Amino acid sequence: MNTRGLMSMLAAVVLAVGLTGCGEQPQVVSYEQGKYQGKADSQPWDNPVFKGDKAAWELAMKNRTRGQNEYNRTQ
Amino acid sequence: MGRMKFLCDAERCIECNGCVTACKNENEVPWGVNRRRVVTINDGVPGERSMSVACMHCSDAPCMAVCPTNCFYKAEGGVVLHDKDLCIGCGYCFYACPFGAPQFPNGPSAFGERGKMDKCTFCAGGPEETGSKEEYAKYGSNRLAEGKLPACAEMCSTKALLAGDSAAVSDIFRDRVLRRGKGLEAWGWMTAYGAEQKEGAK
Amino acid sequence: MLTRKSAVVSGSSTRRLRSSAARIMGKTMDRRAFLKHSGLGMGAGAIATQLPYNLIGSAEAAESTENRMAGGEEVKRTVCTHCSVGCAVDAVVKNGVWVRQEPVFDSPINLGAHCAKGASVREHGHGEHRLKYPMKLVDGKYQKISWEQALNEVGDRLLKIREESGPDAVYWIGSSKHNNEQSYLLRKFVSFWGTNNCDHQARICHSTTVAGVANTWGYGAMTNSYNDMQFAKAMLFIGSNAAEAHPVSLLHILHAKENGARMIVVDPRFTRTAAKADHYVRIRSGTDIPFIWGMLYHIFKNGWEDTKYINDRVFGLEKVKEEIMTWTPEKVTEVTGIPEEQVFKVAEAMAKNKPSTVVWCMGQTQHTVGNANVRAMCILQLVLGNVGVSGGGTNIFRGHDNVQGATDVGPNPDSLPGYYGLAAGSWKHWATVWGVDYEWIKGRYASEAMMTKSGITVSRWIDGVLENNELIDQDSNLRAVVYWGHAPNSQTRGAEMVEAMKKLDTMVVIDPYPSATASMAAMVRKDGVYLLPAATQFETYGSCTASNRSLQWREKVIEPLFESKPDHTIMYAFARKFGFGDELVKNVKLTKDKQGWDEPEIEDILREINRGTWTIGYTGQSPERLKLHMKNMHTFDVKTLKAVGGPCDGEYFGLPWPCFGTAEMKHPGTPNLYDTSKHVMDGGGNFRANFGVERDGVSLLAADGSASKGADLQMGYPEFDHVLLKKLGWWDELTDAEKALAEGKNWKTDLSGGIQRVVMKNHGCHPFGNAKARALVWNFPDPVPLHREPIYSPRPDMVEKYPTHADKMAFWRLPTLYKSLQDKVKDISREYPLIMTSGRLVEYEGGGEETRSNPWLAELQQEMFAEVNPKDANDQGIRNGDYMWVESPTKAKLKVRAQVTERVGAGTVFLPFHFSGWWQGEDMLKYYPEGAAPIVRGEAVNTATTYGYDSVTMMQETKTTLCRVMKA
Repeated sequence: MNTRGLMSMLAAVVLAVGLTGCGEQPQVVSYEQGKYQGKADSQPWDNPVFKGDKAAWELAMKNRTRGQNEYNRTQ
Repeated sequence: MGRMKFLCDAERCIECNGCVTACKNENEVPWGVNRRRVVTINDGVPGERSMSVACMHCSDAPCMAVCPTNCFYKAEGGVVLHDKDLCIGCGYCFYACPFGAPQFPNGPSAFGERGKMDKCTFCAGGPEETGSKEEYAKYGSNRLAEGKLPACAEMCSTKALLAGDSAAVSDIFRDRVLRRGKGLEAWGWMTAYGAEQKEGAK
Repeated sequence: MLTRKSAVVSGSSTRRLRSSAARIMGKTMDRRAFLKHSGLGMGAGAIATQLPYNLIGSAEAAESTENRMAGGEEVKRTVCTHCSVGCAVDAVVKNGVWVRQEPVFDSPINLGAHCAKGASVREHGHGEHRLKYPMKLVDGKYQKISWEQALNEVGDRLLKIREESGPDAVYWIGSSKHNNEQSYLLRKFVSFWGTNNCDHQARICHSTTVAGVANTWGYGAMTNSYNDMQFAKAMLFIGSNAAEAHPVSLLHILHAKENGARMIVVDPRFTRTAAKADHYVRIRSGTDIPFIWGMLYHIFKNGWEDTKYINDRVFGLEKVKEEIMTWTPEKVTEVTGIPEEQVFKVAEAMAKNKPSTVVWCMGQTQHTVGNANVRAMCILQLVLGNVGVSGGGTNIFRGHDNVQGATDVGPNPDSLPGYYGLAAGSWKHWATVWGVDYEWIKGRYASEAMMTKSGITVSRWIDGVLENNELIDQDSNLRAVVYWGHAPNSQTRGAEMVEAMKKLDTMVVIDPYPSATASMAAMVRKDGVYLLPAATQFETYGSCTASNRSLQWREKVIEPLFESKPDHTIMYAFARKFGFGDELVKNVKLTKDKQGWDEPEIEDILREINRGTWTIGYTGQSPERLKLHMKNMHTFDVKTLKAVGGPCDGEYFGLPWPCFGTAEMKHPGTPNLYDTSKHVMDGGGNFRANFGVERDGVSLLAADGSASKGADLQMGYPEFDHVLLKKLGWWDELTDAEKALAEGKNWKTDLSGGIQRVVMKNHGCHPFGNAKARALVWNFPDPVPLHREPIYSPRPDMVEKYPTHADKMAFWRLPTLYKSLQDKVKDISREYPLIMTSGRLVEYEGGGEETRSNPWLAELQQEMFAEVNPKDANDQGIRNGDYMWVESPTKAKLKVRAQVTERVGAGTVFLPFHFSGWWQGEDMLKYYPEGAAPIVRGEAVNTATTYGYDSVTMMQETKTTLCRVMKA
């Protein structure tokens, strides 16, 4: 098991939980019975496209989601 | 970012299977494995409705709850993913899942007749280096990391299948329902909110 | 902790495994019967399959070991090659491999959306089941040969036939899957070969529409567009299952519905389109006219007609009305089986929710009365004043991706490109455009008479082979057939087709997927069959015309796979072999491809089309303008298709024809035909003056005040020629150069475009005049559309009352039976009591070889089946999922799975027409060229279909014939 991976994953979770505390209720049920045993995954913005910029990724996703509403183009 | 969700508008789904082949195409899913399917009820009679179904990326995911190797995890936006290296192909998640999402390609595997579990990833890849050959081979495309939504929803022929941030998706759907001037097409609406209105009432 | 398994399996073994799994699966799983009715759909696929551990057998896509985020990809914009909606596709190519497919959200036509077929077009980049190299049938087996040998042997054989029996002894079946340039080049090629014996899918698709609708008001095409349906308040679908045949059109249709439009479906089947409708009406197959007249009866009774519109813009309605008023509700119900209140409800919905539109497809066209069916629909829309109106019109959904374009400029037996016909004047027009001598072309034909005589149709080529030579209207019977992008299983009377194949001297199949033809031929022959691998439209480039008349430009995605060549390259190679290579490409630059073949440049071919096709306005769509549209898709409005700002400002997407004048005149294209509310330079128009100016003392020209917006002539007027221009004093507005070319010419033959420019730009008039639409088409066998029972009717009593036409002697060069056959089989419904009808499935297209070779699609529809009502099934002891025999009066028997469903009414059996590869119970696998059999094979419905042809266009009757079913 890659402990460093797990640690960074945990760190990310802690950070995320911390941030959600600022406003919304946490949407994701935290898991009691089991703890994830597998490899850590990187965040979707940690790649050459978004270069770690979470805000840019969120904006891209938001635009893409809105793009599904064809009423935006047929008013 | 909130929760990533799929929503299938049964009033628009025409069972064209575009979502199914989009998924096959994007992720090179082999024959016999169906990460997504279209289910039709009342086939061929008035009241026929279709729904595109895949992993619903549950908030409290039963697959996750029952997995003996704890190979599931929640990625950004609540996308339910799993580590195939850890999966033993026991099939417990398949029993637990209300939607039949987990797929078990049979194979020359040491783990019985099932093989590793495979399912919809919300086009978010899996626990391998993003965009790597390994990630693609095991989990398929990682569109989310490219700022794109799952291929199935993006290619839906009538925009029945929506994906993305649940709040934004609800907004789109709410807008449609308002235009229709009635709510009864929403899946399960009648069960949840009472008696059927008069057919064709506008 | 688990050991990580190697995810790497070599590409070829993965492919092998996948396809072997496919074959096994094909025999064991029936999605429709099992999946849908079990309610266990999701679980079903989770059970055993034969696949390796590594899930993603992506040899092709993962060919590069690079990270997928690394970039270095090229994006090629193309258009789906399956149906006529024209969905744009962005193909992502890396190192020459088509690695991904992305939706084009910018496209105003599909907004990124795809059906199963569109979402799977990348599979064309794999093409594992394609024909990979030229092959030849030797001793009943296909053997690989070289291209050189193929070109030489085929060329020599055809030349020998031409020598011995004349040019009309070879039949050329072209394709609606060719792009505009290729289909145009093929018409030219066939002309230079010296025959009009050529045709393509339009014959068996919408030929009756093209003829019927053009004869009503000018052009035989969809008047409005998929997009424009968003403006409709009511939509009537008769004989169209758009949800399966044109799925992405539902994006616009459901949008209209969501905004309050009424959606009505009239069909013998409760289709998936019907499932989305507000109102569904079940009709007896083949009784469309009585239903439409029944509607019109109520419309007239209630005064819902548009009196002013009829007075100003419609000719001959009184005569038609007389016939209509004989169709009392009781009579309509007796013939169609539809209760009066339903007919009334539909009539009311269409009359009270205007603009209302109609949609029809093969359900209307593929009948012995197809031409009359479609005219009845036109009359309905004229009476309601719905034509030339946004949100109204006749939205005729065409079939193949370029069937509209191939109809417009391609290999038609009765016309040169642009519906110019075959008269000497038309030949001279095109000879000038082609830069060849008219006399030379004439010398290529058997005689001048054969040059101006319409050829045999694809629906009847088998009779061109089998019919007694005394009875056919050409010297020799057909001795060779070239299938150039056309399936054999889409034509009726398959049982007789193999007899014709057997009798031929030579068969040539040029296709990426020639296998249905190849296997049928190999079943009855030992030699004389050649298979040549053509490239798909993703391996070449050019323009294609969607159903709404918009042209889109496809970029080449990948180089031709295996040894395949683009069709126009093959045409040029044969032209050289036949000795007219130089003439074929007089105005076309040649470039060398990678293997050193000469490839005619597509842009130049389009420019030649632009220079000659004035009739239907294919003149303004230069390659440059089309490419600009493809790059600026996002600037076009989704409802109106009009660009708002940007480089295409004011133009309509794809310059929907007619796009008159030269490209420099900048006509914006015509989004909705005959729309007088717009100026002609903004895509407006009116009905065409194509049938003279008066008939029986009644003027055919439109009434005063009903001209297009801003026209200098606010009245009806004839079509323009040099004389009229001079009379009006407009002649001097032409430049001297234009005058030189326009002298003695009309708007269709003036190669300068000056007449069109002056008439449209300076005076706002329509070059084809301004006339009334004809409710009465006096040049057709039934000037007033009349109900006539199908030849194989389930109702002898109705045959008595509504008999078919009299037999015809020389009709498209062949004797054609109607009444004599109908009388002979009048009581055959005692033995064959069920109506046999056919239609489409969403997963497959056309003859289906291409789509059934695509594993992503094949998996979804693994077996041929027939839908049969529970009553008919129970009467025969057939249970859902059983094999059963469907036998037609030809005695041909089809072994299919029974899908017992109320989707069809009692007395009707429905079969999808995309299957082939089984022959009356036997799998034909052994007859296929090795490695080129599609994954899914099944009985072709047309093996069993019967005789019957439209009385104008020779459209085949596929929608109403008879059968019986038995447990197998």
